[in-house]
Amino acid sequence: MLVFIQNIFLFIILILVQVLALNNIQFLGYINPYIYILFIFTIPVRTPQWLTLVLSFLIGIIIDIFSNTMGMHAFACVLIGFLRPYVIKLFISIDEGNNPTPTFYTFGVGVYVKYVVALVLIHHFTLFFIEAFSFQHIFIVFSKAFFSSIVSILIILGIRSIKTK
Amino acid sequence: MVFLFLVLEIISFTMIVKNQNYHKSIFLTSSNKVVSEIYVINNSIFEFFRLKGANENLSEENTALKNEIIELKGRLSTILPRQKDSLKFNIPPEMEYKFISAKVINNSTNKIQNYITLNKGFSDGIKVDMGVVCDEGVVGIIKTVSENFSVVIPILNERLKVNCKFIKSNYSGPLQWSGLDYRYANLEDIARHVEFSLGDSLVTSGFTNAFPEGIPVGTIEDFKIKPSDSYYNINVKLAVNFRTLSYVKVINYLNYREQKYLEKVAEQ
Repeated sequence: MLVFIQNIFLFIILILVQVLALNNIQFLGYINPYIYILFIFTIPVRTPQWLTLVLSFLIGIIIDIFSNTMGMHAFACVLIGFLRPYVIKLFISIDEGNNPTPTFYTFGVGVYVKYVVALVLIHHFTLFFIEAFSFQHIFIVFSKAFFSSIVSILIILGIRSIKTK
Repeated sequence: MVFLFLVLEIISFTMIVKNQNYHKSIFLTSSNKVVSEIYVINNSIFEFFRLKGANENLSEENTALKNEIIELKGRLSTILPRQKDSLKFNIPPEMEYKFISAKVINNSTNKIQNYITLNKGFSDGIKVDMGVVCDEGVVGIIKTVSENFSVVIPILNERLKVNCKFIKSNYSGPLQWSGLDYRYANLEDIARHVEFSLGDSLVTSGFTNAFPEGIPVGTIEDFKIKPSDSYYNINVKLAVNFRTLSYVKVINYLNYREQKYLEKVAEQ
């Protein structure tokens, strides 16, 4: 129950931070970090897969409504929500009956970093390519996605390392 | 699970494709009531920090306008003819534009398709396709309107092309954003024989109903032409700084319906 309430808070706070602060920030003119996906990373491992997908879609569509990008964030979020269990399975095996929330403590530093890097890269590259909707600007899109990913990863890992347990 | 995944992805993708159209639904954009209220609150907090710059701009503009009034009054008193005895109502060409001032409550410059949200809607007389300018120059065109809010498609969006011309030579061509830097855009369709130089000014051509002729757009920053090309590749420095945009004016072209109707009749 506590985890449930914590996650609702995280959901609201991440959306507000993303929409009101980060969407207005541009490092070096074109780097725009997206940290709201930390919510999808934080859903407990044994949550039913349908619920993960619905929650991913929900947070994506809310960000879309705020930033006038219909469906783009939703698309990228559902994709990482779907791939999340496979990425976890790739890096770590979780015991039956355990239901940990993914953090540095439960996953271990190395595994958690790999987990975040993989999903952030998938999300950002999907998002930026959908946004451009063509291969005309492939170099711009590629560099935007790559550098924004780096900044997002650093911020997300930073937030996670401040929060104890 | 795979089924649910596919359903959600198809829903998102359909939205993206539908959104490629010029007009989108008001419900799911930032002209939506709840979303715009949140932006209004956020804006009222951060507006405080931009007050100084805004004040300076206003006082400068104020003095310029006052000077202009005095000069025009002087000139008018010498040339004003007697009032004509007529009941017929028409709008003379020099008075066919009215401005509605509005405030920017949401703005992005970092995407390939950027949008701006304004705090005025159709209850203030704003309609789709009206032009939007600020003190420095052209901003964009109204895309969707709700009761109290409207969304602008600015020059910093690849889907908008603004027709503009050189002040010196009157040659015109469409201006389109390149998608990377919010300070620059590209001018197309300028043929090889046209003569111009760095620093030349561009203004709106007046061929679209959204903008009257002569509103500043930008200056020529750089141009290239290969021996095999027949058109120049021109880089334009935009007159408006979109990162600091806070007050704009929406242009209400009073003869819009009459002109549209006439053009439609002529095409048939």
